Amino acid sequence: MRRSTLCPRLLYPMLVALVLCAAPPLISAAKVGAAAPDFTGTASNGKTFRLADYRGKYVVLEWHNNGCPYVRKQYNSGNMQRLQKQWTGQGVVWFTILSSAPGKQGYVTASEENDYLAKMQAAPTAALLDPTGEIGHLYDAKTSPHMFVINPQGVVIYDGAIDDKPTTELSDVPGATNYVNLALEQAMAGKQVETPATRPYGCSVKYVDATH
Amino acid sequence: MRGRYSSARFLRALTFGAAPLLCAAIAQAEGIPIPHGTLELIAENQWIAAGHKFDLGLRFQLEKGWHIYWFNPGDSGDPPRVKWQLPTGLTDGAMEWPAPRRLETSSSIVDYGYEDAVLLIVPLHVNANLATQPTARINAKVKLLVCSHEMCIPGKAELSLTLPIKSQPPVPDARNVALFSATRKSLPRPPPGSWRFNVTDANDSFVLSAKLGHQIAGHPITQGIFFPLDESQIENAAPQKFQPVVTGFRLTLRKSDQLLKPIARLKGVLVVSSDESYLIDVPVSKPGVARGGSGDGTRAVQ
Repeated sequence: MRRSTLCPRLLYPMLVALVLCAAPPLISAAKVGAAAPDFTGTASNGKTFRLADYRGKYVVLEWHNNGCPYVRKQYNSGNMQRLQKQWTGQGVVWFTILSSAPGKQGYVTASEENDYLAKMQAAPTAALLDPTGEIGHLYDAKTSPHMFVINPQGVVIYDGAIDDKPTTELSDVPGATNYVNLALEQAMAGKQVETPATRPYGCSVKYVDATH
Repeated sequence: MRGRYSSARFLRALTFGAAPLLCAAIAQAEGIPIPHGTLELIAENQWIAAGHKFDLGLRFQLEKGWHIYWFNPGDSGDPPRVKWQLPTGLTDGAMEWPAPRRLETSSSIVDYGYEDAVLLIVPLHVNANLATQPTARINAKVKLLVCSHEMCIPGKAELSLTLPIKSQPPVPDARNVALFSATRKSLPRPPPGSWRFNVTDANDSFVLSAKLGHQIAGHPITQGIFFPLDESQIENAAPQKFQPVVTGFRLTLRKSDQLLKPIARLKGVLVVSSDESYLIDVPVSKPGVARGGSGDGTRAVQ
């Protein structure tokens, strides 16, 4: 920290300014054990999806940014696509959500996203375009990837990282414990989800800066 | 939001305008390229001597708008990770992390890290019977993530440094010694012995209370920002409420949404001014539970 190491007297006012001007109280609606906040999103295929329409099914939310090295780890290894195929094949609804703002890493148009889905052979139920960050903020999505699992009663049963290896190395995928798999497997077997919340890891979600 | 950014930018601009001469030295440094910056492996001393502790430094310099991460990166990101390859007789110690700053990536995401430049010091332990080769070659493989508010880019760097081995006590390298000593001043340190801390678990918050005892006159603590060592203890993006009280101060920290179980201790760094930060490691008690004696409230983080 240069301001502290070399320009020591200048950091303090900046820290003070950051704290004094800190964010208003956060509304974090998505919480493990609480009802998943409802949303309506437009998918890259042009269709509209509403979460409430999927009551009775498990739903996975996956925050995505195709340029983020942590997301590339999951897609270039084929892991995310495997999970999508495996779980949608068992009736789970899987929404990939893109909350990057225009001009930021991971922002894509609908046709660019459709090309990406085809090229990567991704298989979510839908990829929802959220450039305003509305759905992202509703869930307080922090990183890409950031995963949520919602049970058929509409309750959040998992919030956090995709797995226990917070790296960008493809070689870390095979040995990782996948928390989404665990949550779905345990919940479907009628058990308590052992690890219902973890710290999500990855790139920060590249939200739009301010309300212009 | 916009106001916050512009005030931060304004202060940042002031910083650059008023940058002391030392900051100018930054521009001259050489390093190997990393995404949007450079990285250099430097040594505090001119040579290595058997039995004398020895500090190396990883000197990161970043373009404006880019940052790297602290030990606990906060809501996103990852700290630099280093693999050392050292000659027999040299052992690397724990990296020393200067106090970080809050990086407000968005209204709901706060990361902890460093902008512009930082020196991460790594102490090397030198065996008393270090082999009598003429030189020691030190190699470091660094993996890191460099981010702006717009994007994140992974980086890798392989660094090496060859230093003479001599029998006489080491002499500081004049090019680096000022940076090492300035950086040491910015390292968090154990709090003064007369300070007492306690932490109470208050539903959705942790309240860190400090009794400052015989505080140095003319040196009141008027601000404090806490940086947790462990992930997922506090909500990084929530404002921290600092309240001066007669005996010291209270800092209220909102619990993380990901924290579903009680925690035994709150550990981290408390920054009270630009060159003053303290290591905090305090047991967490439930409200109403009597605290133990006054002496065990604080312990330096290892």
